[in-house]
Amino acid sequence: MTRETLEVDVLIVGGGPAGLSAALRLSQLQKQQGGEPLAIAVLEKAREAGAHILSGAVLDPSTLRDLIPDFQAKGAPLLSPVQRDNVYMLTERSKLRLPIVPPPLKNHGNYLISLSQFVQWLAQQVEAEGIDFFSGFAGQDVLTDGIRVIGVRTGDRGVGKQGEHKPTYEAGVDIHAKVTIFCDGVRGNLTKRLIQEFQLSKDREPEQYAVGLKELWDIPGGRIEPGTVVHTLGYPLRHEEFGGAFIYALPENRLALGFVTGLDYADPLFDPHMAFNRLKKHPLVASLIEGGTLVRYGAKALPEGGWNTIPKLHMAGGLIAGDAGGFMNSMRLKGIHLAMRSGMLAAETAFDAIRAGDTSEAALKTYQDKIDASPIRTELYPVRNVHQAFGYGLFAGLMFSGMTLLAGGRWIGDLRGRPGYQRMKTLAWYYGLDVPVTRPSNVATIDRLTTFDKLTNVHYSGTAHEEDQPSHLIVQTEVCSSRCGPEYGHPCTRFCPANVYEIIRETGQPPRLQINASNCVHCKTCDIMDPYQVITWVPPEGGGGPQYNGM
Amino acid sequence: MILVVAEQREEALNRASWEAIAAAQQMAGAWPIAVLALGASVGDVATQLAQADVAEVLTGEHAALRHYTPDAFTMALKGVIDQKKPAVVLMAHTYQARDFAPMLAARLRVSLITDVIGISGDGASATFTRPMFQGKLTATVRATSSGPAIVTVQIGAFRADAVRRGGSPSVSPVEITIDTAAIRQQPEAPFQEAKQAVDLSQAERIVAVGRGIKSQDNLPLAQNLAKAMGAEIAASRPICDSGWLPMERQVGSSGQTVAPRLYVALGISGAIQHLVGMKGSRTIVAINKDADAPIFEVADYGIVGDLFEIVPALTAELEKK
Repeated sequence: MTRETLEVDVLIVGGGPAGLSAALRLSQLQKQQGGEPLAIAVLEKAREAGAHILSGAVLDPSTLRDLIPDFQAKGAPLLSPVQRDNVYMLTERSKLRLPIVPPPLKNHGNYLISLSQFVQWLAQQVEAEGIDFFSGFAGQDVLTDGIRVIGVRTGDRGVGKQGEHKPTYEAGVDIHAKVTIFCDGVRGNLTKRLIQEFQLSKDREPEQYAVGLKELWDIPGGRIEPGTVVHTLGYPLRHEEFGGAFIYALPENRLALGFVTGLDYADPLFDPHMAFNRLKKHPLVASLIEGGTLVRYGAKALPEGGWNTIPKLHMAGGLIAGDAGGFMNSMRLKGIHLAMRSGMLAAETAFDAIRAGDTSEAALKTYQDKIDASPIRTELYPVRNVHQAFGYGLFAGLMFSGMTLLAGGRWIGDLRGRPGYQRMKTLAWYYGLDVPVTRPSNVATIDRLTTFDKLTNVHYSGTAHEEDQPSHLIVQTEVCSSRCGPEYGHPCTRFCPANVYEIIRETGQPPRLQINASNCVHCKTCDIMDPYQVITWVPPEGGGGPQYNGM
Repeated sequence: MILVVAEQREEALNRASWEAIAAAQQMAGAWPIAVLALGASVGDVATQLAQADVAEVLTGEHAALRHYTPDAFTMALKGVIDQKKPAVVLMAHTYQARDFAPMLAARLRVSLITDVIGISGDGASATFTRPMFQGKLTATVRATSSGPAIVTVQIGAFRADAVRRGGSPSVSPVEITIDTAAIRQQPEAPFQEAKQAVDLSQAERIVAVGRGIKSQDNLPLAQNLAKAMGAEIAASRPICDSGWLPMERQVGSSGQTVAPRLYVALGISGAIQHLVGMKGSRTIVAINKDADAPIFEVADYGIVGDLFEIVPALTAELEKK
């Protein structure tokens, strides 16, 4: 079958903060330096910019100032400057406010934003420059000739559940580019393939992840001042689990409430969504959301590993930017400004390489050099071991963070890490059980007023997919029907925040995995955390997914 | 005046047309209401429509309207609108209306307000409430075009049985002009899927089953009840996903939205995805073992109990009649 091909100079896969910053930067360089206009295209799997984007979020505006100096005049949607920071250590019933806010969590000069809204605004700036923004198109496969990346193939449309071509069938398009900038997000499916094929993680520490669950609430007035930023540690997590909550008070009685759990927990019966429910029952949070209305829900994985886990980011014809590369400062809990800057630097590298007519690996290495010379390294290098230190427990992590702050990031040798999914223990090891148990270990009461079951929550993500398409979650299900039950108790039914995975037990039959693919919110937790690594997430038909307005 | 466009196929009136008339009666204020029936031969349909308390019933007959095509209907309606100059054109948000209403609105260059779930006020000051983002938000809008606003009302948002009857409207023909050479569509004979197709939105009564039915072998229990009640059978998502009933019987956010006079939910927990598909039903009866099931929050009558005991008893009582 011959596919349509499209030739561009730069293809940017992913219309998030990194991808859009790259596109804008390219257009700026073009204007500054003139010459033959570059053909630039941005691919985005969501139906519209921002629909699949969510974050807390507190934005460090440093990169925004560099990218768009007149951002205020251009109407950047900064909802509120941060007015105050509070950090609490929680126990089941009480809270202890830290008398001093740790310096990395001081947000003076930063802004509360809805990242989805911010990305929509960025996309408007990009489209105003005349750059093609192809929304509703997923990057399905990397195109290579074995040595270099030559582009990306978009997903087919109109394929039925059994793989048959429906009357609406359209084959995906092969987009060929001189340089492809991969900004396909945390655990991006294309970047995952690049890492395997080009061995980009060879001398790096294994990546580490967390999952963030977020809800947007309308709450009664007068409970919390807009611009207040709260972070918590402790309850409902134990010393062995990494994570905490964030509470950001937005204008007009809106509250951004979220919970982050490291995807490296040992307890196979742990359920991150239940932990979020437990958090919401804590007096600190309950007093804020009681009587309020849930507006939206969403989930996303976070790249927590830090500097030493960032893979090699360049190869002939390709660059990796944004969450796909793992540019997040897990101590400051900030990644947006770093994703944006990585996008800008990738754009600069691509621009120079194309103008010079050389997009080989050696030529694109300047991307790594630029990153090393940029605020990205200045920020990420000193905190490179922090997440790995938390692998030794909450106390060790906090101690190490304190020491690393004082020592300015200097340390004798770097801490090693293990992939999170390897740290999950079996039921036998953790509980001494040899029968399959699936009930979460951290059950919370569901009252459907402030706490919800996953199915109700996922309704509020607005996620919708064409029903008649093959499942976009590819699972080697022999494991599900045989080993997984007795060994881990089917953890996918617990760590997926969207009720995608269900185990159906019929009398006389082995357990069967049912995949409710249309509930998927594209968080990637399953691809990351499954202990057997038999789940592969691929993009569903373009346009399908969550509708994260305001998130 | 308000022009209500009724829908008919092969001289059977679509039930949803009554809902559009109810909506018109609610918002008319001082405006007279005219109901238009389009087709090749609509005498019977017009007689039925004339039971409503409206000012007039118009019959728009033309050979080219025998089988629905968007081009013919758009041309016909544009002609009627140009003649009658209504302030508002109202119809039910059926598949057919969804097909031609945008083209009609674009051709007239007027506002199109679709899937309306509520109307406030009356006459020229009426505002329309419609859902956005799968019902997560609602927007209240007002038409600002000069020329008629074209409004479609969501199935079930207005009650067909709330229509005021007893009027004696005049029934008169209205001139229909269609340039048949400009019709670009060639309708084929209507067909049904090989499996028995059903349009649940037309059912007056529905018996729906959920996971509580436990096994495909127990479906006859529900089907007998449905038969005794004169109801259609429907299901929540897990039943259709397991293949126990075909997908077109699924009620919910990824299936059909229904608003029958009676909805009986057997063994359905009431996940929000299901509720959005049926909460417009006039009377909801729920039978579920779990007293905390969310379905009881929307049910008018609920029985906390074992459906395997209750349903046969219900069926037996109904069969006595």
